[in-house]
Amino acid sequence: MTETIKALGQLAILWAVYQGSSWLAAATGLPIPGNVLGVVLLFVLLCLGVVKLKHVELAADFLLKHLVFFFVPVAVGLMEWGQVFADYGLTLAAAIVVSAVLPLLAVGGLVQALNTRRRAPHAGQGQEGA
Amino acid sequence: MSTALFIALTLAAYLGVRALYLRYRHPLLNVVALGAGSVIAVLAASGVPYQDYVPAKDIMTFLLGPATVGLAVPLYRHRLLLLRAAPAILGSVALGALLAMLSAGAIAKLGGLPHDVVVSILPKGVSIPFAIEIASIYKGIPPLAAAFVVATGTLGSLMGGWLLSLARVRDPMARGLALGTVSHGQGTATALMEGEQQGAMAGLAMILAGVFTACFAPLAVWLLGL
Repeated sequence: MTETIKALGQLAILWAVYQGSSWLAAATGLPIPGNVLGVVLLFVLLCLGVVKLKHVELAADFLLKHLVFFFVPVAVGLMEWGQVFADYGLTLAAAIVVSAVLPLLAVGGLVQALNTRRRAPHAGQGQEGA
Repeated sequence: MSTALFIALTLAAYLGVRALYLRYRHPLLNVVALGAGSVIAVLAASGVPYQDYVPAKDIMTFLLGPATVGLAVPLYRHRLLLLRAAPAILGSVALGALLAMLSAGAIAKLGGLPHDVVVSILPKGVSIPFAIEIASIYKGIPPLAAAFVVATGTLGSLMGGWLLSLARVRDPMARGLALGTVSHGQGTATALMEGEQQGAMAGLAMILAGVFTACFAPLAVWLLGL
């Protein structure tokens, strides 16, 4: 019971940060979503110690565990957009596959090359993966 | 059907697919795709138009904003990991986020897709709450953006590990960052199965990719002439 009340209080903090950052995004006209600003804002508040981990982690961990739940009703909206896949399926598939493979290999290869060089600074033979 | 019934139906679909996923842990048992697919099947079979479902959707997604903000908590927990190799992590995730947007957008545009579909595909590598908001800013279609995210995530978790091995990327940090940058939460789940370091790095990359994608979206939209 006390856990539930505590979690609700923590939820209020998360809600306040989200509302605050959404307002900030709207007020400044920044082309950045309020939830992205909210993550950055809460991270900064945690780093500064204004908000402590114990003030938010109970609610945050619960919500993140079930974050995927929220996407189910959002994706139900697809029932109105089936035609898009029928019309442009091939182009969409090409765009999705290429834009997944390219950055996957770029990020993996780059980080591995950087780490190899960091570990063996004199070797001079960065074993690049991609 | 009433709003309460729609909510019960959505909850049942979510819990059912989630139980299946937790049991078999297969990337194709995607909670969003199969959960939404079941709800759509029931609505379509009973002749319910999407508009009737909207009030239920609005109630259920009320907490999505605060929940997304909660992603700062795992980011903060992994801050030391981030600090240890900040330039490599930030640089590679930023590069990956930009590359994903530009390659997806360029192919979609060259393929002659309408503007609202092209901007909906730009954020397909990031977590759904970020993707739907980023797509909305540029007049995209949120459910389409969500679908592209799920397609990318499923692809990444099915083939990401294999592709990285094929390219001889063996470094655990590199594998985790690549999986998290390209295929968000689904890639992170796959990375976690590979190991703890891969999982932590993927979780970090997923959140950073969301932030970078939001920040670079104006640049990508301008470069692609959208």
